[in-house]
Amino acid sequence: MTSKRPWIVLAVGAAAIGGYYLLPFKGQSIVYVLIGVSSVVLAFWGIRRNLPAGRRLAWYALALGMALEVAGDLVGDSYEVFANREPGVPGLDDVFYLAGYPFLVVGVFLLVRRSRRPSLGSVLDSVVAMLAVSLVQWVYFIDPYNHLGITDVAKRLVEQAYPALDTLLLVALGQLLSQLRRNVAFAALLASFVLLVLADEIVAITNAGYASLSWLDAVYLFSYVLVAVAALHPSIADIRSTAEDTPRLSPPHIALLGGALLTAPAVLIAEKVAGHRVHLSVGIFGVAIAAMVLARLFGLFDDVDSARLGEQRARRESETAQQLLAVQNARLRELDTLKDEFLSSVSHELRTPLTSIEGYVELLREDEGNPVHRGYLDIIQRNSERLLGLVADVLFAARVLEGQLRFQFEPVDLSVLVHRAVEEARPRATGAGIELMSHDGSVPQVEGEPARLSQLLDNLISNAIKFTPKGGRVDVRSSVGGEFVRLEVSDTGFGMSAADREHLFERFFRSQTALERQIQGTGLGLYISRAIVEAHGGRIGVSSAEGQGTTFLVELPVHQ
Amino acid sequence: MICADDDPDILSLVALRLDRSGFDVDTAKDGEQALALAHARRPAVIILDVMMPRLDGVELVKTLRADVNLRDVKIIMLSARAQDADVARGLDAGADSYLVKPFKYPELAFEIERLTA
Repeated sequence: MTSKRPWIVLAVGAAAIGGYYLLPFKGQSIVYVLIGVSSVVLAFWGIRRNLPAGRRLAWYALALGMALEVAGDLVGDSYEVFANREPGVPGLDDVFYLAGYPFLVVGVFLLVRRSRRPSLGSVLDSVVAMLAVSLVQWVYFIDPYNHLGITDVAKRLVEQAYPALDTLLLVALGQLLSQLRRNVAFAALLASFVLLVLADEIVAITNAGYASLSWLDAVYLFSYVLVAVAALHPSIADIRSTAEDTPRLSPPHIALLGGALLTAPAVLIAEKVAGHRVHLSVGIFGVAIAAMVLARLFGLFDDVDSARLGEQRARRESETAQQLLAVQNARLRELDTLKDEFLSSVSHELRTPLTSIEGYVELLREDEGNPVHRGYLDIIQRNSERLLGLVADVLFAARVLEGQLRFQFEPVDLSVLVHRAVEEARPRATGAGIELMSHDGSVPQVEGEPARLSQLLDNLISNAIKFTPKGGRVDVRSSVGGEFVRLEVSDTGFGMSAADREHLFERFFRSQTALERQIQGTGLGLYISRAIVEAHGGRIGVSSAEGQGTTFLVELPVHQ
Repeated sequence: MICADDDPDILSLVALRLDRSGFDVDTAKDGEQALALAHARRPAVIILDVMMPRLDGVELVKTLRADVNLRDVKIIMLSARAQDADVARGLDAGADSYLVKPFKYPELAFEIERLTA
C-alpha cells in the first residue's frame, strides 16, 4: 500500500490536471489552487512520514518554497475569481512567487550539502557553472526586457526577476544532477524542477513577444504534483549526497568546465548568425569564465598530482612497514626459541648443583654421629628441597603462561591419589602439631594426569598445613556431585580477608596473612593449582574468613 | 658397572655410593670414555648422564644398543633434564630406566636391583 501511494497521487493528479481543461474559467482557477494546496499538504505529510526528524530540513525548505508558489497562485486566482481581473504587474502574487524561489534553491543546496565544508574547488565549480548559465539567461531571457519599451521600471524589474531567479534554479538543477544518488524520489524531484524551470523560461520568452500558451498551466501543476510524489515515495530517505571532498578530474567534470568555457563563444556565434547586436557583457562573461576555468584546471591538476604523490609515498611506507614487520617476526620467533632453550638450560643448570648438594648432605647425615650436626644437615637438606621445588614451580608457571602445558590424560582414581597425598603430608602435619584427616569416600574415576593431580593435592594440603596454627586440623574430603568429583581441603587456620580472596589465584600473589606471619612461599602454588584444574576442565574456588579457617573446593568432571 | 657423568662431583658421589653398596664401579667423564670402558669391561649396568661432552647420553645409548656385544647391558639414565619429552627421548633411544636429578640414592639402588634381578 505504502509503495503504491505515490503512484495513486500521480494518477489522481494527472486526472485532475486533465479535468482542469474541461472546466469553465472560474472552475479552472479553483481546481488549480486545489491541486497546488493538496500537493503541498501531501508533501509535508510525506516528509514527516518518510524521513527521520534530523533530516527533514532540506525537504521542508523545498515544500515551503512550493507552498509560497501555491500561495501566489491563490492570490492571483482570487483576483480573477473575485475581482474578475488580472492582478497586474507588479502584483501581490509576485511577492509570493518570488519569495518561493530562494526556498527552493536553499532546499536543493541543503540536500546536496556535504558533511564537511565544501572545498574552494567545488565552490569555484559552482561559480563557473553559474556564470555560464547567467550569461545565457542574461542574453536570451533577461536583457530582452530592456528593449521592450516597458516604461514602468518596477514592472520591468519584476518581469526580469523571474529569469534571474531561474538562473539559481538551473544551477541548483545542476547540483541535483551531479551530486545525488539516483532513485524514484530523486527522479520525481528532478522532473518537478525541470518542469518548473522549463515553464518559467517559456513564460519569460513569451512575455518577450510570443503569444500566451494555456498548456503551461499543466506543466506548473505537474511540477507541484511531482514534489508530493517524491515526498511520499519511501526512497526519499535514500537520497544522499554522493559528492566527494576533493572533486577529481573525471569526464563529467571536464565536460562541465569545457561546456562553461564554450558558452561565451557559442552565444557570440549564435547572436552573430541571428544578426543581433553583440553584447559587451558576452565578452566580459567569457573572459571571467575562461579565467576561472583555468584556475580550476590548475587546481585540479595539482590535486591529482598531490594525490598521486601521496599514494606513492603511502605505498613506499607500507612496503617499508611490511619489511620491518617481517624482520620483527623473525626476531620474535628467534627469541621464542631462545627463551625455550634458556628455560630448559636454567632448569638443568639449577638442578645439577642441587643434586650434588642434596646427595652429599644425605651422605654426611648418614655418617654424622653428632645429633646437633644432624639437625644442621636436616636444615640444609630441607632448604635445598625448597629451592628445588621453587625451580620446578617457576618452570611450570612459565609453561602455563606460554600455554605450553601438555597433559597426558588417563582414567584416574582420585581416592587413591588423595590417600597417597595425605600419607605423604602426614609427617609434616604431625611435625607442625596439626591433625590431618582424609575422608575419602568412593568416587567415580576422572580423566586426568596422575602426576599433575598429585601436585595439585600436595599444593592444597601443604598450604592448609602452612596456614594452620599448632593444634588445628586439616580435613581432605572427596565426594561426588552430579557430573563432578569434588575435592575439599579445609583447615581451621588463619583464614583470609575478602580482598586477599579476590587475588588469591594470581601469579606471585602473597596474602596479607602469609606476609604478616612470614609463611614461606613464592605465590605460585595456587596459580599452578588453578592452571592444572582448568586444564582438566574443572573449577577451583575458595571460601574463607579471617580467623575462621579456609576451604578450597575443586570440581573435576567425571570420566565418561 | 660403569658410571658416566660430566659433573665430577655427581660422578664421585654416585661412585662412592655404589662402591659402599659393594658394586665394582668404573667412572667416565664423557660419552666416548664410557663407550671405550664398556668395550673393555663389558659391565652389567651402565649409569649415564644425558648431557655430556663429545658423545651425549642419548647417542651413547643408541650406539650401545646397536653393538652386538653390548646390546644386553642394562642402562639407567640420570639427568637434570626433567621435561616429559626428555624422559621419552631417553627411553625411546633404548634406556631401561630414567631418573631425574636430584635423586635419592635408594631410588637408584632400587632400579639397579630391579634391572639386575
